[in-house]
Amino acid sequence: MIMFSLAWKNIWRNKRRSIIIIFATTIGLSCGLFSVGLMTGMYDSLIDYAINREYAHIQIHTKDFKRDELFNQSINDINNIIKKISSISNIQNYSFHTIIEGLASSSTNSLGVKIIGINPLQERNVTGISKSIVEGNYLDKKNTVIIGKKLAEKLKLKINSKIVLSFTGADGNIIYAAFRISGLFNTEATNFDISNVFVNNEDISNLLNTTSPIHEILIKINNTDEIDKTKNEIQKILPDNLLVESWKELAPDLKITAESTDLINTIFLGLILFALLFGLVNTLLMSVLDRIKDFGVLLAIGLSRSRLFLMIILESVSLSFIGGFFGIIIGYIVTQYFNSRGINLHSFSEGLSSYGIPSVLYPNIRIATYFILTIMIIFTSIIAALYPALKAIRLKPVDAIRTIA
Amino acid sequence: MAIIELKNVDKIYNSKSIPVQALKNINLKINSGEFTAIVGPSGSGKTTLLNIMGSLDSVTSGEVILNNKKISEMKENQLIKFRLFNIGFVFQSYNLIPVLTALENVEFILFLQKINRKERYNKALELLKKVGLEHKKDSKPAQLSGGEQQRVAVARALASNPAFVLADEPTANLDFRSAENLLDLMQNLNKEYNTTFIFSTHDPRVIKRALRIVTLEDGLIINDQNNI
Repeated sequence: MIMFSLAWKNIWRNKRRSIIIIFATTIGLSCGLFSVGLMTGMYDSLIDYAINREYAHIQIHTKDFKRDELFNQSINDINNIIKKISSISNIQNYSFHTIIEGLASSSTNSLGVKIIGINPLQERNVTGISKSIVEGNYLDKKNTVIIGKKLAEKLKLKINSKIVLSFTGADGNIIYAAFRISGLFNTEATNFDISNVFVNNEDISNLLNTTSPIHEILIKINNTDEIDKTKNEIQKILPDNLLVESWKELAPDLKITAESTDLINTIFLGLILFALLFGLVNTLLMSVLDRIKDFGVLLAIGLSRSRLFLMIILESVSLSFIGGFFGIIIGYIVTQYFNSRGINLHSFSEGLSSYGIPSVLYPNIRIATYFILTIMIIFTSIIAALYPALKAIRLKPVDAIRTIA
Repeated sequence: MAIIELKNVDKIYNSKSIPVQALKNINLKINSGEFTAIVGPSGSGKTTLLNIMGSLDSVTSGEVILNNKKISEMKENQLIKFRLFNIGFVFQSYNLIPVLTALENVEFILFLQKINRKERYNKALELLKKVGLEHKKDSKPAQLSGGEQQRVAVARALASNPAFVLADEPTANLDFRSAENLLDLMQNLNKEYNTTFIFSTHDPRVIKRALRIVTLEDGLIINDQNNI
């Protein structure tokens, strides 16, 4: 305790020097933390929006599910499957998708799209597509379709315009059907908006003259921490020809993003601390050089070299800890402030939406980041103190005492 | 009983490849309870001799026995521990720890000796009383006069119950009155508690008070006499 008290008092011997390094640490870490919060918030929302928009948490397909042979890869015995998976407590909601590759045509243009047949009520509870409607209404009438606002712009269509969807039926014949646009959706991902249209499953059944095939089941769960466990539970109770995948398998790029966010953040904070390390070494070295005579006296009167070493380490840790503490507090406050208000990046929305990133970001710092940062600060301060401390303990008291302060 | 014994001690400094012999064939015994002055002109080897007696410097040849221990056989860490328990130091420039109060400066030695908090507080306070600075216990060195700082340094030197106290020119930075007060204090401690003091000086006021005077010149002891 006395060594800590002495170290603490020592760092205030030259107040200006200590305050400068504390200030630098505070500013560096608070800015670093805010940047980390911004990145985390961006990546988290990228993943959350993708899950909410198109993947849900878990999907079921046939094992040989391929987009180009969809009619052959429908899931049979749906009622029985639903009965089975409903027994799993973590499952919140599910919805069925009929997926057909087709063409969306207006009088002026045609574009390849994925026609997704849904049960509008079921879908509302699983994906956020109903909440993404920016003009018109969700699928409320027969033979209506909702399309992306950007697709409507490309096809030069408006609400209540007619759109022709064409696709190959199970018998190989091309089916043409006219739908009226009931609503336009606008998600945070441009590609999704251009390439997907949603229709009522019942309308597809009418066109096919049979119950529309179900190609995928989307499942939303309550506790996302247990996603892998729930996925395995579902897989166990389903027939072998069905494959259960979480969003991590369905979108491996998002999985990598999710898994690398913390690593990238740690590297980023590490780089900031690395830069601060040099400032800290400089401060400590100056402080040691100023006190060579004192160290000589301390060694002469009986302070062991290990205690002298410890004292300098404690000085470094204390200095960094003060800067780190204020840096973390300021970083936390700034991040929380923008977390509650959001950072509006509408002027960059075009660019951001091409990556599926929303134009309003909510910075967020995980609790683990604070712990990791604290450990990194302590580690950095110890590294910074090594050279000055080694210099101090190598002093010969008889020479050090003779030094002119 | 000899607490310091130097046998045939030589000290040569190899400064810039030119060897300088600081001490030549020194043979000296100092007994417990002595009040000895090491005197001589500047460059005569006083400080070197004191450093060797304080185990702060090594000898080139010869043997140094301090409190019955051959210090040439000790490693650096053992020497630090030896000094902590056996030697008290008073430096010319006081050299108190500037961030600690007078009391804490004295307590610090007791802390290094791993004495518990209450005991070290009481002992440090008692030592400050002895040097007449109990009322300045909470003052930092910068708030004390030179004489007061040197008194605290004496209290610190005595804190470890050392076998002897080495003082390198203790009055060199003090005015006449403060120097007299310090000498009174050291003399009283020597008389009352049989504390052994060895001090280097060329201050006639100090020399006058010494009970034994060892005179050095060019690294040689040219005179060793009692001054009673």
